Amino acid sequence: MINRRAFTAGASAAALGTVASPYVLRAGAADASIKVGVINSMSGSYAAYAQEGDPAFRYVIDKINKGGGIKSMGGAKIELVFADDTSQPARCATEVRRLVTEEKVDLLTGTMLSSQMLAISPVLDELQTPCLSVWAGGSRSSWLYTLGYDYDRGYAKTMADFATWLRDKNGFSIKTWSPCYSNYEAGQQVNKHLLKRMGDAGFKALEEAPLDTKAQDQTAAMIRLRSAKPDLALGLVTPRDGLLLHQARYNLNYHGSIFAGGTGGYSDLTLWRDLSPDIAKAVLTRNLFAMTGFSPSAKMASMQAIVTELRDQAKLQRIGQAAIQSAQAARVLQRAIEAAGSRDKKALLDGFKKVEIKFGDPDLYVAKPSGVKFADDRLLEDGSAFFVQWMEDKTQQVLYPEQFANAKPRPRA
Amino acid sequence: MRPDFWPALRSPIPWALLALAATMPFLLPNYYLHILTITLVYAALASAWNIVGGIAGQISLAHSLFVGAGAMLASALLVKLGINMWLGMIIAAAASAAMGAAVSFIDYRFRLGHLSFALITMAFAEMAEIYVTNTEFLGGASGLFLPKDKGDLLAFQFGGINGVYWIMLGMAAACVAVNFAILSSPLGYNLRSIRDNENAAQAIGVGLLRNKTLAMTISAVLTSIIGTIYARYLAFVDPYLLVSPVLTIEIVLFATVGGLGTALGPALGAFILAPLGEILRGHLGGFLPGLHYFVYGLVVVGVILLMPAGVWPSLRDRVLRKPAAAGN
Repeated sequence: MINRRAFTAGASAAALGTVASPYVLRAGAADASIKVGVINSMSGSYAAYAQEGDPAFRYVIDKINKGGGIKSMGGAKIELVFADDTSQPARCATEVRRLVTEEKVDLLTGTMLSSQMLAISPVLDELQTPCLSVWAGGSRSSWLYTLGYDYDRGYAKTMADFATWLRDKNGFSIKTWSPCYSNYEAGQQVNKHLLKRMGDAGFKALEEAPLDTKAQDQTAAMIRLRSAKPDLALGLVTPRDGLLLHQARYNLNYHGSIFAGGTGGYSDLTLWRDLSPDIAKAVLTRNLFAMTGFSPSAKMASMQAIVTELRDQAKLQRIGQAAIQSAQAARVLQRAIEAAGSRDKKALLDGFKKVEIKFGDPDLYVAKPSGVKFADDRLLEDGSAFFVQWMEDKTQQVLYPEQFANAKPRPRA
Repeated sequence: MRPDFWPALRSPIPWALLALAATMPFLLPNYYLHILTITLVYAALASAWNIVGGIAGQISLAHSLFVGAGAMLASALLVKLGINMWLGMIIAAAASAAMGAAVSFIDYRFRLGHLSFALITMAFAEMAEIYVTNTEFLGGASGLFLPKDKGDLLAFQFGGINGVYWIMLGMAAACVAVNFAILSSPLGYNLRSIRDNENAAQAIGVGLLRNKTLAMTISAVLTSIIGTIYARYLAFVDPYLLVSPVLTIEIVLFATVGGLGTALGPALGAFILAPLGEILRGHLGGFLPGLHYFVYGLVVVGVILLMPAGVWPSLRDRVLRKPAAAGN
């Protein structure tokens, strides 16, 4: 029988033990190292990104360390200090504060989506520590660089260019379109830019069908689309909303529009599992094109090489866009630190400006025809992405841009 | 006022504690000062909520509406219209007071029971979140990004974390003092009688509408002001944090664990749970995600089982060997 005193003592010991354990684990770390704080959303609503990306990131960093570390710093090893922001922007800012002031990290990285980027920007400015975000669609701090797609020249431009390409180069009859997007921060922002770009390209916008991110069913949005019957439904859709949207489309048996958009809501492999193969086959392989930053079938040797390596060497089960993006982040960090040659934070920040991974370099994992290089706004100069179509065997064919393409778009059915 | 209010205020102990707390920016490292600042925000919010939820026994789940009004409206007025944030804070507080009064009127008009009141207020909170995240003027789902804090007090800038800490310390102390004052005043007696038996209170002449509205208005105004200061501190005004019903749940949890209906309990609950959550996540989240939730939950369950009336009433009874007087 556990009495009250024993319970209190036991709970206190357990709490103290777990709090102390990270210090015990870290006691053996080498001195000749550069400390990188990694803030991932390992729990909460964005956890899918981090849980897929984290093993790939750790694998590449481990490979860098085993390969001799940072050469310009005499072989210094990269030491990672992890934190979980539970997918909450304010907590991400708190973790930045903790890692910089308590753990004394030299620079930061992590999944950090746009809302987290906004929350940490004032803290980065205050603490003057460089940071590389894997996913943020912008940068509001001069200390923050990001590999994420810019809302305009990343997402909106790729989508609008693809729609134009379908119409002008492939003979698709597309005159009207309806914005169909997840109604949250990124979805709204991308849609704002998309409205302008699609208008400039001569497409007529019909009624919008925003997807309620808390809804358990997207039938209402699909009915709205069926009523407007645009030639194209286009927008940024999250995996969860995409799942519900495709389910609703199947239930209503609606095929009057072309569905295109990204990223996870259209391109994530989990759609096949969650929709069930029969439903997925009926909706994903018919009048649907998916935007993604990664496809294993893309004609790009260095991308295919890292996929093979992550699968065969690292034994990773899930190798999707998040894994490749995170692996790329590890290589960008390596290049930035090499360029800095010291732990000085200003030098590290300048190191990011010097990062350039050209097309054809084996360290280029993401599909960027112009390679990885940061523009003055601290986002990648090349914000382009793929458009793919699903095949019945769950594989993807890359359609756009033509440089990476291995197929032509399937005609409208 | 009850006779023990003014002597308590004249006692050197609270002032000494306040003076000691004011030295923390010089003693604590940046991260722990941040946690203490966040803790003060929650202590103030829990104390403000306690006026309605604890003393009057009206479990309001709409307080994220008032935090959101203070944070989003004052920020939007600054960012979109260039209105000084001091003025924005007053406008937002007035709007919160009006919304609080409206909620009280609905409660009175339809004689909502405790459960119905909680559900109705939760619906208001949900509606507020949907409205804010779809309203461009209030920043939509993207939120608002405030200008850099350069320490210009006239522009509602406090010079960074130290300044915000002192402001929040004063605000938290003020909220606790308001709780003390209400508990020691006729309003406190009226609210407690409404909490214990609304029909009986009305039968002996306690005005339900007047007292409930007064309590809700005071609580809403305080909550709104805290929301504005918190927004200024964060600089990024995130609707999913500041207008989220989850925020209210946290406030209710802190107040309940600390001791509902007491003046010090809600603040004490925040001082126990807010740093615990932050520190556990900081130290455990990195190597075993989710474990901090487990440990946090374990502590909350443990405290509730061991001290069902809340930490403050239990401590007071055990340490001071003084049986609880109702509402103290």
